[in-house]
Amino acid sequence: MADTREFIQNLKDTPRNLRASWLRLGKPPQSDRERSQATFHNFFLHLQSVRVHRNSLRFAYSLGLGLILTASFVVLTITGILLMVYYKPSTELAYNSIKDIHYVVPAGRFIRNIHRWSAHLMVFAVFLHMARVFYTGSYKKPREFNWLIGLALLVLTLALSFTGYLLPWDQLAFWAITIGANIANSPREVTDALGITRWFDMGGFQKQLLLGATYVGEEALIRFYVLHIVLLPLLCGAFMGLHFWRVRKDGGLSRDLTKDAPPASVLGRSMHVFQTSPSKTYGLMAIVRGRTPAVGRGPDGTVPSWPNLLWAYGAALMFTVAVSLGLSLLSDAPLKEMANPAIPENPAKAPWYFLGLQELVSYSAFMGGVGIPTIVLLGLALIPYLDRDPRGTGQWFGGPEGRRVAWKSALFGLASVISLLVFTVQLGWLRDWYPKIPQLMITAVNPGTVIVGIYMAWSLWVVKRTGSPRLAAIALFTCFQMGFVVLTLMGTVFRGPNWQFYWWPSQWPVH
Amino acid sequence: MHPNSDPARLSKWALLVSSVLSIVFLAAAAIRENVAAEWKGVQREYKTILLAKSADAVARRRAEAFSIEIRQVTVPALKVVDRCVSCHNGIEDGRMADQSQPHRTHSQELLKWHPVAKFGCTTCHQGQGLALTFNDAKGEEAFWDYPLLPAALTEATCATCHDPRALSRGSAAKLVRGMELFDVKGCASCHKIEGKGGSLGPALDNVGLKTKHQFMRAHLSGSQTTWNWHSEHLRDPGGLVPGTKMPSVGLTAAEREALTVYILSLRKRDLPEAYLANDKIEEKYAKLHPAAPKGEALYAKYCSHCHDTGLYARWSKNFKRFIPAIRNQAFLRLEDDECLAENILEGRPGTEMPGWGPKAGGLREAEIQAIVEYLRGETKFTALPPAPARGSAERGHRLFTMNCAGCHGVGGKNGFAPALANAVFQKAATDAFIAETIRNGRGNTPMPSFGRAGLGQQEIGDLLAYIRSLAQPVRQARSYGRAPERDQVAGSEER
Repeated sequence: MADTREFIQNLKDTPRNLRASWLRLGKPPQSDRERSQATFHNFFLHLQSVRVHRNSLRFAYSLGLGLILTASFVVLTITGILLMVYYKPSTELAYNSIKDIHYVVPAGRFIRNIHRWSAHLMVFAVFLHMARVFYTGSYKKPREFNWLIGLALLVLTLALSFTGYLLPWDQLAFWAITIGANIANSPREVTDALGITRWFDMGGFQKQLLLGATYVGEEALIRFYVLHIVLLPLLCGAFMGLHFWRVRKDGGLSRDLTKDAPPASVLGRSMHVFQTSPSKTYGLMAIVRGRTPAVGRGPDGTVPSWPNLLWAYGAALMFTVAVSLGLSLLSDAPLKEMANPAIPENPAKAPWYFLGLQELVSYSAFMGGVGIPTIVLLGLALIPYLDRDPRGTGQWFGGPEGRRVAWKSALFGLASVISLLVFTVQLGWLRDWYPKIPQLMITAVNPGTVIVGIYMAWSLWVVKRTGSPRLAAIALFTCFQMGFVVLTLMGTVFRGPNWQFYWWPSQWPVH
Repeated sequence: MHPNSDPARLSKWALLVSSVLSIVFLAAAAIRENVAAEWKGVQREYKTILLAKSADAVARRRAEAFSIEIRQVTVPALKVVDRCVSCHNGIEDGRMADQSQPHRTHSQELLKWHPVAKFGCTTCHQGQGLALTFNDAKGEEAFWDYPLLPAALTEATCATCHDPRALSRGSAAKLVRGMELFDVKGCASCHKIEGKGGSLGPALDNVGLKTKHQFMRAHLSGSQTTWNWHSEHLRDPGGLVPGTKMPSVGLTAAEREALTVYILSLRKRDLPEAYLANDKIEEKYAKLHPAAPKGEALYAKYCSHCHDTGLYARWSKNFKRFIPAIRNQAFLRLEDDECLAENILEGRPGTEMPGWGPKAGGLREAEIQAIVEYLRGETKFTALPPAPARGSAERGHRLFTMNCAGCHGVGGKNGFAPALANAVFQKAATDAFIAETIRNGRGNTPMPSFGRAGLGQQEIGDLLAYIRSLAQPVRQARSYGRAPERDQVAGSEER
């Protein structure tokens, strides 16, 4: 009898107990202790530390870009899964399934627009995030490895965006990927010139690997689909987890450690500074190597992550959502005529973030498609190992001198790339003057390699003048940023049919 | 930042503002899709029309049961999904004949034979059937390869399943007129259809399914549709395609429209048997079992565009040379039927005259024979006086430069008179023919009589020797309709 009563009582209490077991804390945390518990008792929140430095919450320092990137990845995953419900990855059906998504699937058009706009936002933000991390010196010890993971994420983001480009199977997609595949094929320029393509055909292999054929067709569509919805998102998610974990392990966001710490007090209460004593045994948290927020330091200027960091998460997520929704309302994702290999688009353009590369490819396929991107990625990867000077970490441009160098380099970078482009458009290049010049000469000396040379020379000059590798790195990075922006603009706006120069797309001749 | 200020203040504001904005955007998107959708408005309007028109209780109940929803016609056999009926709700309802578009009913006569469920809409009208707004469905501004055909041109798609000439009077009058014009204006002189026709212009077999991107539109103003391109191109070919060989044909606006309809009707579609009308099958059968060819009609279709009546040599502005008078009595007296057939069969390589044999222009032997008979008419071939013996090519060269090169061009080519340094000419023309032409000239053409101007037998012989040195005669594996002993009969070369 008592058992029955207990059973009924338990049944009655189940909603309450369910809630208690789910929310454990029961009520919004009030004390710092409860806030800490709210953080480390939660699987999702325990990735962040319990307390976060005020500097990490400063918008002017981080610009919220990492959070915006994470948020756009979340938005892309959700909208992507919704799109998968109706999308059919076959050359026969893909185009019409996009038309159906646009016209008849409830909210389909809007969801596709959001997917497209948050993808652009993500690519845009990933470049800005890298610049932020670079200019605040956040790649320095102990964060070198996280900088490398970040680079991998940059490449993955571009790859995700690029593979998604083909899926609508319209003219835009088909010809952009055709261009992309030909860039993969570009090592042939060198192997052909050396006459070794018969034995060593790197370009052909890459293209074959990418397309599964020698042309963009059914095989390529399936490959891109698998990459886009399975492989790359999984990799991206894994690397993101790694990236966040390392942020935590490397002591949160970087900050200027030379600055006087704010008083070790929070909301008026003074805080006890923890010091290790050699004769005692400590828990794991106390002996973690390196500068974790708590070891050997007072909680100087830190505040509980709950709720301060949560507000920032929410703000970044909703900011990303609002921007994507607004843009989606204003402008539809493009869908041109169905892919038709018989009617080449002129100009056929890659996605916008590759148009700088396409501009370089128009000079030399190998240098633009393989050579210079490799140099740039290698250069970026080497930055934390060449610049080991810890000074200036956590400050924008590492101080006023760096800011001056950045400004000068921006001007120099802009001026040199623009004058080189004007020169090329007006006067042509080696091939126009010496029609019989060997291809290897063009591969070695073309506007792309020349601008890389000019930027390297500038950075060498800066290191010679100042003796600071940090300033040289700022000079080089800034120059490359300017080159990237100008070349991308050149490819996007100023190049028309046959890759001719035009002041504006409205001047393009109808072909 | 003050150490005690709320560190999350900016985040909170950003969260509030972006959340409010997101809700506004979501609401706007929801309204745009669910309330403001074009097709919903149309269907609501249609429902009120239905209600107003319902005379009895049954009709009224039916009208009230009309639900606002996307409607579509799916025809898997034709790969058609047409949502046009989401707005054109009354398309099969006879009561809607007095309404304006999009509610108006379709011509019932046509729908009787072409039920919407079997054919869809875009099979005949083109346009983007998947779309749900009129502008997108029309597709001229959207990225769509086959925009909605204007009503005046819709006949173009009849020919996909029908032989338009077999349709009851007037149902495809414009298309039939276009077909006639194509023959009358001699379009086939340059354009092939199903392998038959000249080769100066592009073949037109599938031209109706070409998209606007396949035409040069740099100089096309106004509507960028293919039909506007064809219409403008027929009016002024050089204006659209600089340097084209296509002449201005001289058509009225109505004729241009008819011809445009015919051009648009040229489309190769792989249709299921069930969709081919009997008349279309008969048309195909007739092509396989043609009636006896008529020389005059063939001449009009394939030859007249360049040779005109063929009675006089004609100056061609486009080709910058004279086009030979091939029905000229003076010419026909000198040239026998075999020689005429040879010229038609092989054409004149290097000139604009294409070959018309089965492998080139696609004419059958019987057809070529019919043309030869038409050319010949009443004029008999007269046996030629024997040619003088070939003399010295060196002297001939000098004579040629003085007398002939002015028209026939230095070295017998690139002149505005027929090219003599031409393999087919060298093969088809006998010495006697050449000698006779030099001696007596050719009436009704610019070729004068050099005999009367003082050239003697020996000089003609020298010229012969030189002309024969200009090109090797073409060597054919098989020579059409030629008696093996012909050279001996004409009896010139052996001497």
